[in-house]
Amino acid sequence: MRFLTLVLRSLFRSKRRTFLTVLSLSVSVFLIALLQSLLGTMDALTTSTGSGTRFVVQDKASFTNVIPQAYTNFLRQQPEVERFTVLQWFGGEYKDPKNFFANFGVDPESYLQVYREEANLPSIPLEQVRDFLRDGNGCMVGRALADKFGWKVGDVVPLKSSIFNLTVRLNIRIIFAGLRKSDEMVLAFNIKQLQEAVPWMKGRVGAITVRAKNPADIPRLCERIDHHFANSAQETLSITENAFNLNMMKLLGDYSTMVHSISAAVLVAILIVTANTMAMAIRERTTQISTMRALGFRSGQILSLLMAEGLLLSLLGSGLGIALAMGVASAAAKVAGQIIPWMADFIITPETLLLCVLITLALGLLSTFIPAYRASRRPITEGLRAL
Amino acid sequence: MDDVSVRLRNLAKSYWRGSLEIPVLTGIDLEIPRGGYYALMGPSGSGKTTLLNLIAGIDRPSGGELEVCGHSLNGLNDDELAGWRSRNVGFIFQNYNLVPVLNAYENVELPLLLQDLGRAERRERVLHALSLVNLTDRMRNYPRQLSGGQEQRVAIARAIVHDPELIVADEPTGALDAKNAEEALILLEHLNQELGKTIVLVTHDPKAASHARFQIHLEKGVLDRTVEVHDRPVLPRLLT
Repeated sequence: MRFLTLVLRSLFRSKRRTFLTVLSLSVSVFLIALLQSLLGTMDALTTSTGSGTRFVVQDKASFTNVIPQAYTNFLRQQPEVERFTVLQWFGGEYKDPKNFFANFGVDPESYLQVYREEANLPSIPLEQVRDFLRDGNGCMVGRALADKFGWKVGDVVPLKSSIFNLTVRLNIRIIFAGLRKSDEMVLAFNIKQLQEAVPWMKGRVGAITVRAKNPADIPRLCERIDHHFANSAQETLSITENAFNLNMMKLLGDYSTMVHSISAAVLVAILIVTANTMAMAIRERTTQISTMRALGFRSGQILSLLMAEGLLLSLLGSGLGIALAMGVASAAAKVAGQIIPWMADFIITPETLLLCVLITLALGLLSTFIPAYRASRRPITEGLRAL
Repeated sequence: MDDVSVRLRNLAKSYWRGSLEIPVLTGIDLEIPRGGYYALMGPSGSGKTTLLNLIAGIDRPSGGELEVCGHSLNGLNDDELAGWRSRNVGFIFQNYNLVPVLNAYENVELPLLLQDLGRAERRERVLHALSLVNLTDRMRNYPRQLSGGQEQRVAIARAIVHDPELIVADEPTGALDAKNAEEALILLEHLNQELGKTIVLVTHDPKAASHARFQIHLEKGVLDRTVEVHDRPVLPRLLT
């Protein structure tokens, strides 16, 4: 502690340089924190609570094609199937095209069962469930979505779909609080409205989500279903919900490799910048360091003082970067979450925070160690001559 | 207790440039008594600073024996040597070598941070050292806020704050004007006469050397002669 003054004063000896180094470190930490959190959020999307026991049956050619609802008859006969539901992407807009959110036509009763974790079914009042099941124009919406538009139970929501050239007027019967905010950015209504109003949707659905009794049975079930409908007019592709979500995400490219590559590039760049700064900061104090050693400071003490400086610099950068990232993440979740549902769950996790702190500590140690070690071992007489 | 502060026997120092050995000091035999005041003189390249560095324990000899302040320095490792310096040697440099981010008080305190002393005792010693060099009123000033003469006085205070037996000074007046140089030399002489410090000084300046009791002349790395100074300036009493 008695050397703290010396370490702090040395660190801020050149305020502009220290400020710029802290700033560049913090920008790097900020980027890494955001990129890693984005990756974490996207990965979490492919592994939602109940998704491990579910798989999706869709058209083999494209998930945008519809398949016969009668396929469910075969599914009903499979002993490993616990429950299934049908759904169709509606793509409806509320008042304005900017008001985009996920909305589906579903079979209400089975939907609530198959997605019971996401809808947090036990928390929904029974009368709301009853109203939703009874009302053919009823719909259920997530709390975050309802809050966004100021909806409450009983409100009427008009949704206009350009895909089906159809406007539905839906009565809000359930507002559910999901386990995750992204699960709350969804609206589901009775698919019968769609099937009755659009001739080519009659007896057809976009996909069937199946809930298996045991996750271990899923691969066998998928194979059996696809085999059964092979060579039919519409062949099927059955994949786990995680894989389905992953496929959707992969439309963005190999984002994981991309994010890791960018993070690594940022790290290498900042390591070089910090190492250069520290080397410069130490080199210009060669005489001072040699004087201190002449006065009796041991090499180890000099090394510790310089390392403490490097670590402190890194921690300052880390702290500022994390604070920035948390602020931006919170804003992004609020703003972007209204447009992209899964962004509503965007947070900097404690694991990412820890990762950032560890990375910056490692950066501080790595960038300082070599110049500090050399300075602490340099012959004193040589250092005293270096003016 | 041995009355000899510095004892050198057949001391040698060489540097190596690849496979070429360049001798800097050869066969130095010297004894400086406790409380002695010696000036090392000689032309550039004669080895006077190298000799001072060896005596101060910041360089190692290539041969011979080196005993300073009652310790043989030959067998000490780097850390032991650092510990020995922190207890026994005070340094004064030509360019003062103060730490620019520390104020005068903190610069003087620096050697004490290496000792097991409480804050109050450190403060008492720092204030005493600063009062000896008459700089108590400037103790919160940073080196850049001090004149060259004041900086050297802070450096002198730093050299004596831990009460070392030996003070080594390498061209202490080299960067000072005549008035400040004279003040610094008078201060050193008082440290020698009134506090009994052993002082070894390297200088080119005959006037600076005239304050010492003995002048040791080096020539091409060999001890040429030792001359006693008889007509030293008369000092007013300064230190208490």
